[in-house]
Amino acid sequence: MDLYYSDADREFRAQAREWLLGNVPGQQRPAHGHEAAQFDRDWQRKLHDHGWAGVAWPKEFGGLGLSGLQQVIWYEELARAHAPHHINTTYVAMMHAGPTLIARGTEAQKAFHLPRILSGEALWCQGFSEPNAGSDLAALKTKGTLDGDDIVVTGAKMWTTDAQHADWQELLIRTDSDSQRHKGLTWVICDMRAPGIDIKPIRTMMQDEHVNMVFYDEVRIPRSNVVGEIGQGWSTALATLSFERGLGFIGDQLELYERVGRVIELAGKVRLEDGRRAIEDDGIAQRLASIKADTMAIRAMTLADIAETDRTGVPGPKGSMMKLMVTQTHKALGELVGEMLGWEFLEFDGDRGNNPWIYDYLWSWVFSISGGTSEIQREITADRLLQLPRSR
Amino acid sequence: MYLAPDGDEIAVAEAAAAYLAEVLPIARLHAAPAPDLAPDARQQLGEMGWFALAVSETQGGSGLSAVEHALFFRELGRQCGPVDVLAQCLAANASADAEQRKAVMSGDCGVALVIADGTGWRILGHRDAGLGLIVSHTEAQIVDLAGLATEVRPALDPANSLRFAAAMPPALATAPGEHIWQLGQLGTSAMLVGLAEAALDLIVDYAKVRETFGRKIGSWQAVRHACADMAVRLEAARAQLWYAAAAIKEGRSDAAVHLDAAKHQANAAALANADANIQLHGGIGVTDEHDAHLLLKHAMLLSRLFGTKRVLLGRLLHAGLED
Repeated sequence: MDLYYSDADREFRAQAREWLLGNVPGQQRPAHGHEAAQFDRDWQRKLHDHGWAGVAWPKEFGGLGLSGLQQVIWYEELARAHAPHHINTTYVAMMHAGPTLIARGTEAQKAFHLPRILSGEALWCQGFSEPNAGSDLAALKTKGTLDGDDIVVTGAKMWTTDAQHADWQELLIRTDSDSQRHKGLTWVICDMRAPGIDIKPIRTMMQDEHVNMVFYDEVRIPRSNVVGEIGQGWSTALATLSFERGLGFIGDQLELYERVGRVIELAGKVRLEDGRRAIEDDGIAQRLASIKADTMAIRAMTLADIAETDRTGVPGPKGSMMKLMVTQTHKALGELVGEMLGWEFLEFDGDRGNNPWIYDYLWSWVFSISGGTSEIQREITADRLLQLPRSR
Repeated sequence: MYLAPDGDEIAVAEAAAAYLAEVLPIARLHAAPAPDLAPDARQQLGEMGWFALAVSETQGGSGLSAVEHALFFRELGRQCGPVDVLAQCLAANASADAEQRKAVMSGDCGVALVIADGTGWRILGHRDAGLGLIVSHTEAQIVDLAGLATEVRPALDPANSLRFAAAMPPALATAPGEHIWQLGQLGTSAMLVGLAEAALDLIVDYAKVRETFGRKIGSWQAVRHACADMAVRLEAARAQLWYAAAAIKEGRSDAAVHLDAAKHQANAAALANADANIQLHGGIGVTDEHDAHLLLKHAMLLSRLFGTKRVLLGRLLHAGLED
């Protein structure tokens, strides 16, 4: 048991801190639209040009090949520098598609896509969930029919974040129409500009249009775009999700501590309806400190898990517990800010820039539902960690 | 960076687990009243060197670190071990008098933990204990309890008796510094983490065999999800405990902050897991014959030592951290 960082780790932290200090964009990220996607591409391009892109990717594929601990350091420094949040329009490409292609893609797929992802040239979106297949992903129905060198896709996908900005999609379809559940699925790379794709935005309670429904009407996808084997898509999809459940959220885990610091600062300024500063209220002060203690524990859990993964080489089942704890803490913090800000909390015109506190509070429900709902995370914990009898 | 027991640490934890399950099993609390650390058990623990784990070798101890100290007390917590064990360990670390230290380490001389409570003092430890230990953030005082008039109060927790004294004699010796407090806070946190683990183990084992409506209760989401929440609380408390233990061992400047967070998480995890364990057991969970209430009552006692929720959170609000 030790908290030592190697000389290489310390050196990496110092370099990252120095570079971020001089290179984090001065202007705020636009909340919506093409401008937001362009901002993300530009930031990714800058990271790439200066040798900071792909912290988790192996060196042979253009990444930095960092250890888990160094990735933690990177995300801590990003949060400290108020750098653009890593969950943006580049997230699926960097955290899902890239790692999946590295693990399961053909040489041609890797050679074509990986450099484009790293440089910010190509944005990706996810096409897994459907109107009737969310938590129960294996119920998906979008059909792929083999036709010569193509697969012809018809169906609908749901909750596709940033589909309108994406160049490519990781698309999970049923290529064997007689198959059930996890069998007969295929993971394909779908060109989002292909004829027959129709994107309809879904307006969320944050009043933004980041997520979409995507309809496929006989969309032709070359067979050479299959990742893994035809009919083995479930296995490829599990690989995709394992990257997310392993390290995909460490940025959020570590950013929460910084966020609490900002709220404590805010509580020292903002006045309650009785004229006292929020921090002078014992109830608020105690809840703030309790959330701070939770973020410290989240950081300790993250470090413990990362160190274990660095040693074994395989992510363990604890990612689900961390997502549960992070999403609960995130929501509790938003709720507390709401009490501190009183009526001001309710002034919202749909632009996160004008009231990030309420936007982030509303987002806390997205956080606890997307990427595996809290209920699914509890199921995974009960199955894999506690080995309780199966519920289904 | 590694935040779990490793190498020789695992051997220490396993030895402690096996030994404590033999000498101070939680089952002892179901037999005739057996509060506190009885003199014979105290001497056995002393002979095995458990009170001197973290005492330096030059002072006759094992010279191990805060990490092994935490591992030992986590196992003690699983058995609802009496608080006297901690008092004994802390006094062994605090005593500057070679003869007294030797008697404490060997278990020949018993030590009770003494806590200020308003106008008087609470004494946690066997009536045979000749010494008392009063620990604050800045110093640890050793007092002579021999011949002191104490009043026995009824104790909720069968693991420890509860005595009260209106006054304490002047200190025999005072050890300056924060070190003893830190070992005390770490030991208590570790006991609470062990207790939270024991609560989770009890319900997970039961959920695999007990049936309702024709199914194992562990297959009902109402039970599974509550168990998952217990696991999350435990994981948070345990990871923070390891972080704090390593921070003390390495003398980091923010060790006290991580310890406060560790005690807070341990208080919360132990109390909430003891609660959930009773509820999920159903009727059997509220019976005297079951261990479930023992865990709750001991958690209530330990949560009052070395930092209550209110005090800990008051200190944590503005505390800063290293990288």
